[in-house]
Amino acid sequence: MDDIILQAENVSKSFGITKAVQKVSMSFKKGEIRGLIGENGSGKSTFVSMLCGIHTIDEGRFILNGEELRINSQVEANRKGISIIVQEMGTLPGLTVAENIFFGNEDKFIKYGIKNTAAMNQEADRLLEKYGFHHISGDSMIDHYTFEDRKLVEIVRATYFEPLILVIDETTTALSQNGREALYKLMKRFREEGRTVIFISHDLSEVIEHTDTISVLRDGELIDTVESGQVTEDDLKRLMVGRELKSHYYRTDYGEPVSDQVVLNVEGLTVPGEFEDISFKLHKGEILGFGGLSDCGMHELGKAIFGASDNRSGSVTLADGTPINSIPDAIKNNMAYTSKDRDNESVIVYETIRSNICLPSIDNLAERGILHKKKLDQFAQEFADMIQVKMTGINQFVSALSGGNKQKVVLARWLGKDSDIIVLDSPTRGIDVKVKADIYALMYELKKKGKSIIMISEEIQELMGMCDRILIMKDGRINGEILRSPALSEEDFIAKMV
Amino acid sequence: MSDHTSLKTMEQKKDKGFVRNLLDRMNINTILPLVGFIVIVVVFAFLTDMRIVQPNSINLILSQVYVLMIAATGVFMVMTIGGLDFSQGSILGLASIVISYLSFYNIILGIIAGIIAGAVIGAINGFFHVKFRIPSFIVTICTMFLFRGLNAYLTTNSPVAAHVSVTSYNVTWLKVLLTILVLLIAYLLFTYTKLGMVLKAIGAGETAARYSGVRTNLTKFLVFTAAGGITGFAAFLNVIKVGSITATAGNQLETQILISLVLGGLPITGGAKVRFYNIIVGTLIFSVLNNGLVMLALDTAMQQLIKGIIFVLVVALTIDRESIQVVK
Repeated sequence: MDDIILQAENVSKSFGITKAVQKVSMSFKKGEIRGLIGENGSGKSTFVSMLCGIHTIDEGRFILNGEELRINSQVEANRKGISIIVQEMGTLPGLTVAENIFFGNEDKFIKYGIKNTAAMNQEADRLLEKYGFHHISGDSMIDHYTFEDRKLVEIVRATYFEPLILVIDETTTALSQNGREALYKLMKRFREEGRTVIFISHDLSEVIEHTDTISVLRDGELIDTVESGQVTEDDLKRLMVGRELKSHYYRTDYGEPVSDQVVLNVEGLTVPGEFEDISFKLHKGEILGFGGLSDCGMHELGKAIFGASDNRSGSVTLADGTPINSIPDAIKNNMAYTSKDRDNESVIVYETIRSNICLPSIDNLAERGILHKKKLDQFAQEFADMIQVKMTGINQFVSALSGGNKQKVVLARWLGKDSDIIVLDSPTRGIDVKVKADIYALMYELKKKGKSIIMISEEIQELMGMCDRILIMKDGRINGEILRSPALSEEDFIAKMV
Repeated sequence: MSDHTSLKTMEQKKDKGFVRNLLDRMNINTILPLVGFIVIVVVFAFLTDMRIVQPNSINLILSQVYVLMIAATGVFMVMTIGGLDFSQGSILGLASIVISYLSFYNIILGIIAGIIAGAVIGAINGFFHVKFRIPSFIVTICTMFLFRGLNAYLTTNSPVAAHVSVTSYNVTWLKVLLTILVLLIAYLLFTYTKLGMVLKAIGAGETAARYSGVRTNLTKFLVFTAAGGITGFAAFLNVIKVGSITATAGNQLETQILISLVLGGLPITGGAKVRFYNIIVGTLIFSVLNNGLVMLALDTAMQQLIKGIIFVLVVALTIDRESIQVVK
């Protein structure tokens, strides 16, 4: 019993009528890396939010080192030795790296009211060196660094004070292979030092490989805790979903010819600093993949195709020669786009599901410019139901939905628009297996209906599984083309990506 | 669980009669401004020994509400997209001067020129806001000073008097008619065309609105232009009431509008939760408050102090902390 450091006793939390976490009890040992998995909305994030003082606990309690944990904020949690690396960006722009790392703890560098910036930068550099992030320097502005580097800074900020318990909430999706390796190394070091890590991720192979034990949550309840060495991904999926799931949720057809009818023609497309001279043709009923490292330019390319880049040169034209130069052009001609940055670019978070679904189709829904409320309601309801958005009603705000359901709202609006050319940037990013499977099934269905899809993804597996043809990008240029085949392996991709 | 929830929602749908629906739609934020209005009327009725609910007082209150209500309609749209407009008072002043000049030739021409003058200032606001990406409250504070200055220059020697005949238009039915007309047109556009949905979308999330096909820059420019034009029209009602325009014409109109809309329940950050009735309830609350304080014979300093306190309290109580973002 001695090596138990943290216990949860019947912890519960509700948001309105939704029971996010229900009577969860489990214990964590010193020197343990515990995976926490479950579908979107299963209560993982809520559970750790309560542990870290972000949310209050409705019922039950946490016991840390034999004492009941009473905290009201993240700062207090930090003082008790509990730290969290969150899913979303947690660094503050306009400050230096060092200021970000020591934010809230500047006191130790202040003497007689004066901050010793040099000492602070030095200490930051020492820490960054220790973590192996040599390319980041303490006195530079955080804004100079990429998304991934800022995530690394966050990791340092959350762990430099050597907390007893470290929560890593869905952080790896934002990291490249190098960043992930650094994080895994850190987790191992924590384990060796007798500290505890709670690791949340949707990537099941990653969870199995890097944890000691795995707890599965479903609908807010603890289903089981298993030894990582004794389970397979399929076992975990079964526990998460509660029933058998086909282990192959990608499409399974191979060798079916794709029509040679071109629907979209991209010619010499360039956005300075992002990508250069990209040309390709998209065919009817084709799923065309774009793969590469996260900064290879493919995400910006997706925006440019949709007419969203303002300093673009080259041309994007439909089969009949209609140029696509702006977002309204694209939407009018039945093109759709879902962004990697879902909350800022794909959905209007602080709006209703209804408005979000209706907005792109608003000109079609109006009769001689007049809108009828009933018609809009029906329209939103129809497409939200078609794709099974889990909601209390179409007037619910999108901000109340989980990541997977937000993405469903995004897809519902473009289905409603009856889009023919659909650009999907990272469509399954941070989404659980069940919704993922729904999205893959939907893509295949759309393909069979003759719709054309451009799928941009950092996940090699899903590109292999879903695409008829994949263009690999590297440093802003196309660096190879791979055709659909059951014989593909990840190595074929990686060779062209790096 | 998913089977569970879908069952539950189906049951709810069945149960939901007319009353439930109505109650659902009238959440606390919807009722609060109405309750506020009633409370404020009752309180002042007591404090003034019922004087404020006499026909004379009501007439007086209404006579002050027309300009405010019309001008607030334009600013309502600006605030829906998450912007602010502090140049309204100077717009009213300049448009009033333009109308007064032209009233010697043709009053219809004057009205049209007033609208154009307002729209031009609004367009300047919109242009700088959109093209140079300056937050709207900064742009409009600049134009406020600019056109206040111009108004002061034009009225240096003497107030600009309108033709004496204009005061003959100062009849209640005309003012009521014009105010209702503006509100009605704005209401119909806001509710039954895509205007409302588009403006709310910009206020709730501009980037996502752009990716949904909304021409955000053009829309923002047009909204500021329209807000100017509408206040340019309100200037006509101002001219027929006062007859001659001094340098202080339109003073503090911008803050009166802002306070009115917020009192009426408009979220200061705009977005999905704005409602058209915010304009009407808000301007009425403000006018009752304003006149009530005068009737209590409080001196102006005290009146301002009380208005300031109420404003701060209302903002603090009603601001939507969840969706708070920087005002554009």
